[in-house]
Amino acid sequence: MADTAVEPAAPMAALADEGGLPVSRGSAVSGHAMTFARKYSLPVLLLASFVLYGSWSKTSEVFLSADNLRNMAAGQAVLGVLTLGILLTMVSGHFDLSIGNIAGLSSIITAALFSHQHVPLVVGILAGIAVGTVVGGINGVLVTVLRVDPFIITLGTASIILGYIDWYTHGQSIINGIPTSLVSFGGSNLLGIPKVVYVLGAVALLVYYLMEHTPYGRNLHAIGSNKAAARLVGIRVERTIIVAFASTGAFAGVAGVLLLARTGAGNPQVGTTFTLTAVAAAFLGAASFKVGRLNVPGTIVAIFFLAVNITGLTFAGVENWINQLFTGLTLVLAIALAAVLSKERKTRKAAS
Amino acid sequence: MTAPAALDRKAAVAVRGLSKTYAGTLALDSLDLDIRPGEIHALLGGNGSGKSTTIKILAGVVVPDDGGLLTVGEGETVAAETWTPARAHAAGLRFVHQQPAVFPQLTVAENLAIGAGFPRRAGGGIDWKALNARTAQLLEKYRVNTTPTTPLGALRAADRSRVAIVRALQDCDDKDGGLLVLDEPTAALPAAEVEHLLAALRGYAAAGQTILYVSHRLDEVLSVADRVTVLRDGRKVDTVDADGLTEADLVQMIVGRSMDRAFPAPRETPAEDVALQVRGLAGGPLQGVDLDLRRGEVLGIAGLLGSGRSELLRMLFGAYPATAGTVTLDGAAYDAADPKQAMRAGVAYVPEERQADAVFPQESVRHNLSAGQAWDFYRNLFFRHAEERAATGRSISEFLVRTRNDKQPVETLSGGNQQKVVLARWLRQRPKVLLLDEPTQGVDVQARAEIYDLVRRATAAGTSVLLVASDTEELAHASDRVAVLKGGRITAVVEQPLDAHHLTELMNVSEATP
Repeated sequence: MADTAVEPAAPMAALADEGGLPVSRGSAVSGHAMTFARKYSLPVLLLASFVLYGSWSKTSEVFLSADNLRNMAAGQAVLGVLTLGILLTMVSGHFDLSIGNIAGLSSIITAALFSHQHVPLVVGILAGIAVGTVVGGINGVLVTVLRVDPFIITLGTASIILGYIDWYTHGQSIINGIPTSLVSFGGSNLLGIPKVVYVLGAVALLVYYLMEHTPYGRNLHAIGSNKAAARLVGIRVERTIIVAFASTGAFAGVAGVLLLARTGAGNPQVGTTFTLTAVAAAFLGAASFKVGRLNVPGTIVAIFFLAVNITGLTFAGVENWINQLFTGLTLVLAIALAAVLSKERKTRKAAS
Repeated sequence: MTAPAALDRKAAVAVRGLSKTYAGTLALDSLDLDIRPGEIHALLGGNGSGKSTTIKILAGVVVPDDGGLLTVGEGETVAAETWTPARAHAAGLRFVHQQPAVFPQLTVAENLAIGAGFPRRAGGGIDWKALNARTAQLLEKYRVNTTPTTPLGALRAADRSRVAIVRALQDCDDKDGGLLVLDEPTAALPAAEVEHLLAALRGYAAAGQTILYVSHRLDEVLSVADRVTVLRDGRKVDTVDADGLTEADLVQMIVGRSMDRAFPAPRETPAEDVALQVRGLAGGPLQGVDLDLRRGEVLGIAGLLGSGRSELLRMLFGAYPATAGTVTLDGAAYDAADPKQAMRAGVAYVPEERQADAVFPQESVRHNLSAGQAWDFYRNLFFRHAEERAATGRSISEFLVRTRNDKQPVETLSGGNQQKVVLARWLRQRPKVLLLDEPTQGVDVQARAEIYDLVRRATAAGTSVLLVASDTEELAHASDRVAVLKGGRITAVVEQPLDAHHLTELMNVSEATP
């Protein structure tokens, strides 16, 4: 199921015989217009949301204020890093449903190291990232060695992490001893932009580079498209998948440290809801720019599309439930859209 | 041409002056076609020949240009442009496509009911008894050896196809029998299952069923068809009796040039210059294979399905475990543990199942060409996209890939062009040894000729080729020598001149001859 949702499954060999019929000029032009509209529909919707909340009497006062914009941007840094990280596994046709919990674990362990062991700042940060990498790597090994559905395995690791955090913290937040430099980093600006947003930008560039400009990204795309064929062109499939899970875990670790910096405490309750939102944003992102493919710019726009609408609606007086509801709706719509696109592609193929 | 005597026989389906223009291109040019009742009529032609268009017009899903006429059985002659799917169905035309939509987890009875509706009991529940009885009758009539309650997935592949055919025919009245149109019915079948299906088709035809059979596989057409109509570039070349026809005749009609010219001439290669030496290779079905692949030759491997011919290639590519044996490549020991090591040693492999094992369907032509070679374009932390584009452009023109541009998803290309992409992916690396498993499966005759041209160009440049093909005619024409693989061993090596019948005999000789 994972495969069908991300990249439509291998095409049926339809009544495909005559391949070379030229497309008439007219339909080619309207085809371009269609593609254009589709590529940029989400950015346009994002702009429209800004205009809506900026002019709606219920929200206009606060919505476009510099403080709110900064807040929204900084508020998406954790989720953004998490989502960009999961792109790497999703591109290879796999899911990691434990990323939210990995981020939670990383923030708890980092907080505990600061609080109980008084480790230096850098050591704490690196430890948080290392925890994510290791758990991600374990996910990858389980998926490739046991050859089970990553969906199930990572759901399992998610639960194990939850249990461990609960046992370790007794449900209590870790608030003492978090370095002030870290917490002030999470709350301050540079050139008028929250510092955590720079981290998000750097991660976006890194993931974009990995996915589109390295052999590693190429191989991930190939595995996601056809695992058997990837093996037979000499790609070391298992190794590549394990590295993908470990990288996703590493980015979840970064997200955990950012979370600690933003909130100033290791909170045992956070995690699970991040996962769903990240997956929703990744899918939604695949509906723009490079339509039908997971891509970095689309993902960023999707994250802010979710944030802007949830914030706007909250300002308009809608209660907290809108958060989950809107995210869920978006996920369902994004996946439905992916299904429609793949069907369209098949029909187009049959027609050509 | 159709013999005059045929005109007084009532045709099951007759079309006159059928044309179809797509965006100014004539895809079908005033086709006349008579399909006689109870015959198996094969429709042949390469890509773009118009055979798909013809079927789609018969099915009513493509509207032809004005002026064509269509008659089914004793029905009235109608203007072809008024034909619709509903009219086609009412007239008894039934279509089974190359990958029929059958449901392996459901029972045979359920699969049939999905086409015709479930019989109901009073109260609305499904009347399983009636359904199973009706199914048993149908299975009996079409001689499918199974029971209504067997899960379809438990049947052999050919029987699954037969159930799809029964499903298409189940609501057809017996009075005029209609027309069964089969589009590449064997394309998805393993070779061993093909004959089983063909035998069933012959039986149906003998019982009066009229069949229009569309296929790329010339050997199948010759073994099953009564008459053959060949299309080329939208025009009918001829309709001829299949009796006494050879594959060479068909190739000549389809391509417009003779078979000798459709395949490049064989080459003499010196026996002492061995590129790949295999000794005692065993594992899976292989019991100890010895063979010498000479530099620059095409060595065919003739073997029945299950003889281990595919496993042999996979083993040499490090994709199937060998339990014993030694392999020497250019005089050095060669033992690839996985495909990557095989690639590094200069061995390339084109697998049998193109869709499942070779192409990345949604990826672009460019990405498909450089799959597994991405490191060649990555230096100093930069991916050299311009270099890759240039290399892609060269490959597209050198290996005759017909594509709009290099960003086109490979799944939108024809089978032949997809295969050329797969071949180009390997040949552009100038491999020492190229392992080809059924390289022309699902590929039309024209593209087949081009593919073997490309292979010959590679051998001229020093590549040595091991070729597996189940069509012995093709094997005989494309190889310099042929090794016969039987019982897990090479039992004979045949030199020029190669003869398809001789190869077939060698493959089939029973070992337990008294």
